[in-house]
Amino acid sequence: MSLLHIENLHVDVAGQPILTGIDLTVAAGEVHAVMGPNGSGKSTLANVLAGRPGYDITEGSVTVDGEDITPLSPEERSLRGLFLAFQYPIEIPGVSNMEFLKAAVDAHAAGRGEDPPSAVDFVKRARACAARLELNPDFLKRGVNDGFSGGEKKRNEILQMLVLEPRLAVLDETDSGLDIDALQVVANGINAFRGNGNAVVLVTHYQRLLNYVVPERVHVLADGRIVHSGDSSVALQLEERGYGWLDG
Amino acid sequence: MSEQSNELADLVGQDHAATGHEYAAGFVTEIEADTLPPGLDEQVVRAISAKKDEPSWMTQWRLDALRRWQRMPTPRWAHVQFPDIDFQSISYFSAPKGTAPTSLDEVDPEVLRTYEKLGIPLHERAALAGVEAPADTTSNVAVDAIFDSVSVATTFKERLAEAGVIFCSMSEAIREHPDLVRKYLGSVVPKPDNFYAALNSAVFSDGSFVYVPKNTRCPMELSTIFRINEKNTGQFERTLIIADEGAYVSYLEGCTAPMRDDNQLHAAVVELVALTDAEIKYSTVQNWYPGDDEGNGGIYNFVTKRGACLGDRSKISWTQVETGSAITWKYPSVILRGADSVGEFYSVALTRNLQQADTGTKMTHIGPRTKSTIVSKGISAGRSQNSYRGRVRMNPGAKGARNYTQCDSLLIGDSCGAHTFPYIESKLPTAVIEHEATTSRVSEEQLFLCQQRGIDPEKAVAMIVNGFCRDVFRTLPMEFAVEAAKLLEVSLEGAVG
Amino acid sequence: MAGLTADGASLAERVLELGTTGYAPWLDRTPHRKLIEARGLPKLRAEAWRHTNVTRWYDAVLSGAETPAKRTRLELPEGVEAVDFESVRACELVAQRGEETFSLAAHPLAALNALRLGAGVAIRIPAGVAAPGPVRIGDLPAAYQRILVIVEADARVEVIEEPSTYTHRLLEAVVQPGGRLSHRRQQAASSGRECSLVAVRTEADARYDLAQTALGADLRRNDILATLAGDGAAVEIRGAWRLDGSRHLDNQVAVRHAAPGGTSRQTYRGVADGRSRAVLNGRIEIAPGAQHSDAMLSTKNLLASDTAEVYAKPELTIYANDVKCSHGATIGAIDDDAVHYFRSRGIDERRARSLFVRGFLREAIDDVEAAQRLGVIQ
Repeated sequence: MSLLHIENLHVDVAGQPILTGIDLTVAAGEVHAVMGPNGSGKSTLANVLAGRPGYDITEGSVTVDGEDITPLSPEERSLRGLFLAFQYPIEIPGVSNMEFLKAAVDAHAAGRGEDPPSAVDFVKRARACAARLELNPDFLKRGVNDGFSGGEKKRNEILQMLVLEPRLAVLDETDSGLDIDALQVVANGINAFRGNGNAVVLVTHYQRLLNYVVPERVHVLADGRIVHSGDSSVALQLEERGYGWLDG
Repeated sequence: MSEQSNELADLVGQDHAATGHEYAAGFVTEIEADTLPPGLDEQVVRAISAKKDEPSWMTQWRLDALRRWQRMPTPRWAHVQFPDIDFQSISYFSAPKGTAPTSLDEVDPEVLRTYEKLGIPLHERAALAGVEAPADTTSNVAVDAIFDSVSVATTFKERLAEAGVIFCSMSEAIREHPDLVRKYLGSVVPKPDNFYAALNSAVFSDGSFVYVPKNTRCPMELSTIFRINEKNTGQFERTLIIADEGAYVSYLEGCTAPMRDDNQLHAAVVELVALTDAEIKYSTVQNWYPGDDEGNGGIYNFVTKRGACLGDRSKISWTQVETGSAITWKYPSVILRGADSVGEFYSVALTRNLQQADTGTKMTHIGPRTKSTIVSKGISAGRSQNSYRGRVRMNPGAKGARNYTQCDSLLIGDSCGAHTFPYIESKLPTAVIEHEATTSRVSEEQLFLCQQRGIDPEKAVAMIVNGFCRDVFRTLPMEFAVEAAKLLEVSLEGAVG
Repeated sequence: MAGLTADGASLAERVLELGTTGYAPWLDRTPHRKLIEARGLPKLRAEAWRHTNVTRWYDAVLSGAETPAKRTRLELPEGVEAVDFESVRACELVAQRGEETFSLAAHPLAALNALRLGAGVAIRIPAGVAAPGPVRIGDLPAAYQRILVIVEADARVEVIEEPSTYTHRLLEAVVQPGGRLSHRRQQAASSGRECSLVAVRTEADARYDLAQTALGADLRRNDILATLAGDGAAVEIRGAWRLDGSRHLDNQVAVRHAAPGGTSRQTYRGVADGRSRAVLNGRIEIAPGAQHSDAMLSTKNLLASDTAEVYAKPELTIYANDVKCSHGATIGAIDDDAVHYFRSRGIDERRARSLFVRGFLREAIDDVEAAQRLGVIQ
């Protein structure tokens, strides 16, 4: 059974149609890339999956593990294993990364009917994940994204993904604003995560992340629809010829 | 390793027990009360004084205050609105019936149960268990319980007496320690200081009295728990804390009241006196009934709190966490007279529904090299109005004095108000004053991020607010900090969405 | 009733006995007289007058000791319309101004200005016109003066105010959508007692800048009220002052965000020496619904003597949540370490202090003319 199944999805934002009939199926264990020019609807797709307020589904369905997620609140979707790495991570001054992660991990444990992990186990795990992303332990004590550089913010999103171990990770432009070293660190994080029965959807404008995280499938989004799908070579073609060649 | 334990400590501090939606302290205790009929004149003041068997100097002191009060106009400068109070419709004295208890066994069991329900057992648990409690356990807090107008119990008196510390009700202090009371009562907050202080001076019924002798570190935290129970009763308690040379005391104050539809007036006066090298730490968690969602009922909390750092190198530190009351009007202040004395004010004030708070501090620098720090965190939700009002004044003698003020507002929702009114006044070039204020909000984006990570919005708001208040919570004694965080969380329920 | 006391009545009566001037007869002074009759005049103990002994100003008003300038000093660039307040055209321009830029109740001295008005000028910059040079308004020949500036849509102009003396001056300005008004205000040292009110309304995408340099007077009170009334309006107010002797300066500034998306910046730097007294009350108000407002205020003050006084009161009054507001205020002394550093490089102490003060004031207003007026360039 497919892990993520999107059928004929139409989405309006502020009364304007943005997605106009998306069909997409991702199986467990796969990495898919969704590419497209600015304004094609890539971020809308990512946000609507996470249940962001203001994105209205007018038609179509989205299921995760066979369950229709569209009536669920954002936190219910999260507890079912859906993770969104934000294009623009939000700052929450005063709340430390550690505290924030612990609250999330506890909520997920409660969602599974388990006791929360002990503070000692939790701290160990968070530190191990931070180390894998080459983040200094002090990073965990800082306010959530507060005063972080662009690259730190993106790494923080991946850190949260590693700690929460979602079923389905949707990474929205996680490669933007990263220098080449940071890009490799982030890619290593994603590669360590992929497989294990989960699925990853990479939403990106550029092909460069895909040099390090090679997807099973690449979909090209234009004007709110998927206009082309293929294997990872599609990304290279886009890089070479731009999005224009699809118009012809 | 120590790093890790700090992180753990932070996390443990976050594990709050889930609590109910309601104002948990809102029940009424059914006991017989001895209550004076409403109204205020000379006869009433004499009656209060007589009930308390006071010496004539005290009666005269009260009458003088009454006469001054009668000539004073009601203050109107605060950023709060409420109908005029009819001071003749309030009863100025209420006490549980019966003769004054001399030990805990004589206290009305209903009253004891009230405090049990509030989570403040008055029995000296450690003593009952027959073991000497280590210095850091929560039971090691001496409590003075004030029920309506009178002190019903003071615990751990003997153990405190061994250290020479006097901790008793104000009524008892007037009888037993008249020299100290006459010397210091009204010395920090004079009778005509302001309208409500004058009223309090005339009618105060009870309160706590603390004297810590020279070079004594008070062996435990002292605490007063205020409880308004009777209807149409004002509570006018008077607290006086004196730390003699080289003494140290930490004092906690908690307040609750039943849910009632009418507004009740609470007009307390707290005076702190710190002599040379003395230190007083005064912490308040104020959870008076705030009124219902539509603004009906609730306590009018019009309180005058002031400390005087009389001696060199003395220190007074106020910490307050304010979530209750329909209207709060209070400015715990410090007069920094002694050289190198230190004043601190740390405040969290949360308002929601139709609550109004106008609170802050006054730091008056008189002595050289005096220092003051003000950290104020205001949180407004619902349709509430939350104001910080503070004054920092450098008088000509305060050479080399310093003040730092940080004043932040957090808004939740678009129908509330957050206001900042700092008065900054200096008359000498060697003093330095720094003031900063910011405004932020709990944004939909922040809540969405938390939700996407599986954290429900109410929990998320509590977490964000906790983070916002951290600088203040860390100044509270440990068990109080947890209490305060819990209280905020409960108070914020229903504030989103 | 804020700011007014019952015993102001007798003062009010005496002020009303002075009567009304016949200048600009089209101006209906009824509301002004009624206000004073009903509410009296503010007294010293009123909150807004804590640091200005307004009684001394009333002494000047009542004694008739005012010494107004004898003649008008006014320079106009081409394309700008200017008329004497006496004329009916001024009445039309007042009508064009639209709703009040301030409330009389909050600024009762403006009522006195209307009753005693003796000189005024109304200025209009027509839509789309960029005035080729500044409008210079020096003196007007009366103790009570009024200036009206209307900057029509997409017009731009610089107005320079440099009066030598007055008892009360009222300057009203409306900057219509897309317009821009740069206002420079230069208040010389004076032995007079003067009060003024600047009330500006900035409409959508319009911009108002004020740069005020002030030396003190025997009594000098400036009320400044800027309202951001249209979406995306911008206000910037900068003030630098330097007081010595027993001079006095009381600035009461309110920036009111009444529409969404407005930006305001306030920057003040002041030095008080001798036995002078400097006051800044700077208020930021965000009205309900004025979301996405961005407001900031910074005031820093130096006390240069043991006998000078500084009072700062930065206020925030916020009724909308999606806003960015902050203020900062400091009072301190000239940094001895910095002075020492200059001296270690061979600069004498007097000059070192002057350089330090100059750098400090420059944080508010950074131009040569302002520095010269403040006496910090040698």
